[in-house]
Amino acid sequence: MNPYVRFIGQRFILFLETIFISMTVVFFVPRLVPGDPMGAIFTNMASVGGSMNAQAMVAEYRVRFGLDQPLWAQYVSYWRELARGNLGISISAFPAEVTGMLMSALPWTVGLLLVTTLISWTLGSVIGAVIGWRGRKAGAMRLLVPIALVLYTTPYYILALILVFVFAYLWPIFPLSGAYSVGARPGFNVDFILDVLHHAVLPALSILLVSLGWWFLSMRSLIISLKGEDYILNAEAMGIKEQRILWGYAYRNALLPQTTGLAISLGHIVGGALITEVIFAYPGIGYRIYNAIKSLDYPLIQGGVLLIIISVALANFLIDSAYPLIDPRIRYEGSGGS
Amino acid sequence: MAVAPVQDVVLDSRKGILWDLARNPKFVFGGSVFMALLLTALIASLFIDPALRRSGSFEPRLPPGQGTLMGTTSLGQSVAIQLTEAIPNSVLVGLIAAAVGTVLGALIGFVSGYFGGKVDALLRMLIDVFLSVPSLLFLILIAALVRNVNVISMALIIGAFAWPSPARQVRAQVLSLKERGFVQVARLSGMNGMEIIFLELMPHMFQWLGANFVNAFIAAVLAESGLSILGLGPQREMTLGMMIYWALSYSAIFQNLWWWWLAPVISLMALFLSLYLVHIGFDEVSNPRLRAEG
Repeated sequence: MNPYVRFIGQRFILFLETIFISMTVVFFVPRLVPGDPMGAIFTNMASVGGSMNAQAMVAEYRVRFGLDQPLWAQYVSYWRELARGNLGISISAFPAEVTGMLMSALPWTVGLLLVTTLISWTLGSVIGAVIGWRGRKAGAMRLLVPIALVLYTTPYYILALILVFVFAYLWPIFPLSGAYSVGARPGFNVDFILDVLHHAVLPALSILLVSLGWWFLSMRSLIISLKGEDYILNAEAMGIKEQRILWGYAYRNALLPQTTGLAISLGHIVGGALITEVIFAYPGIGYRIYNAIKSLDYPLIQGGVLLIIISVALANFLIDSAYPLIDPRIRYEGSGGS
Repeated sequence: MAVAPVQDVVLDSRKGILWDLARNPKFVFGGSVFMALLLTALIASLFIDPALRRSGSFEPRLPPGQGTLMGTTSLGQSVAIQLTEAIPNSVLVGLIAAAVGTVLGALIGFVSGYFGGKVDALLRMLIDVFLSVPSLLFLILIAALVRNVNVISMALIIGAFAWPSPARQVRAQVLSLKERGFVQVARLSGMNGMEIIFLELMPHMFQWLGANFVNAFIAAVLAESGLSILGLGPQREMTLGMMIYWALSYSAIFQNLWWWWLAPVISLMALFLSLYLVHIGFDEVSNPRLRAEG
């Protein structure tokens, strides 16, 4: 079989395993936690929906998720509803569908994360490569190393708090919260886009700076460890220009572990970014989950969690699928497994 | 330089680990900052009248210096007194969660790596899956269901999802160790699987598990503050995350109560940075090649 197809196939199986196992965990968690939380959820539903026929709501829920049936039947219907894209009904905004509520939030989260991750990964890799290559000759630029270390150890939301204080309170050049001005009409026009960008600067910056620190440090140490390799020494002995050795030889070889690093840390990035949304009241999935927690809306919390799990698994699969483009060995020799 | 007898070198490296750590500047500096934070909080809390912890014990919204060391909250609590409770509690969450996660992870990694075959295939799949999914999500689900979490239950929940990364690394270590001569000899001399794991393999992993423990510690403190900011922390106890949560819910930033939110933020950053230095120190000692890079 074509090694590329086999490689992608393996990654696709891991993707399916991830979805299957994590969805199963999500199904069993509320049923394993002691103290009948499912009962509490229904009590909560009944009390919240007091004015709007709570009985009907709870009945609807029981039928849809078959909660009177044995566990295995519930499990089957859980998958059936998931396959239909039905994540249940919100408690706080009954009878709104959770799927719809989350779909309107998803673009904000994905947009914020995609842009910041791409920028920080690219920028961090390039700067890290330059500083790692120059080593002790990098001069004042070496100061970036301790700065990156401090940034990297700071959680996104801590940096977010500091940025809000400095740039939205002390020196208010950016808005405090939200994704666009109150009263702005969402649409595809210059004013609205500029407004969105203006609101996105601080949340983006808090994610960008922290992850930039990490990509910088990891690329720097990769390049440092590659510098002593025989093929680099050989290239130097052959008189190849330094810039070409750095970008054509060292950087290209460091790119694969750097990409693997991206796939591995994607989960952390997403987790941290969800909390950053809370600080900025940025209307993505993280902020939805935060509001759902405040209003004890478990179906919405669970839906948000499921959606993020699926997105992260999908993103990981896509990153993995890009390996063969970076590393020709996978195309020619077949995969090395995980 | 004279060639040292082999025996001496071995003995030297035996007394080594602690000795090397004590001479590693990053470990010493990080460790001192960490201990200073924790001990200051613990010792101070011994001298504080518990009645002063209640809200309304002080005049609300006082800036630092006017009567209290670090100012007061909107509810009339002293920020300094809250810190003496919050720092040890956050550290406790980190310690318990890291211990649970490391032990679980080591166990899973050992079993997976040592027994191989179908057990390994299954466990490796679980490790891969739980590594790729942000554990914060599972934590959110559980914490949202368990009403009234306290510091201990929160630590246990976090620890229950902290095993994948130690498991993966222990597994890799075991795979390389188990082909070594001394394990073969042990197997030939009739030791069973568990005996080999605990008597032959474990001792080789302690040093390595130490660095991993610090890593898990950092991740657990991070998870605690994240969950608390989301509103899933221990509502009746003070942790650094809960301090930020309360400050945010009373919009401390926009009321210019900077002392309220800045105190836990700076403490958290100091905690992370000091633990990270300890981690690097550990790495350098157990992996001497790193030291050369500077």
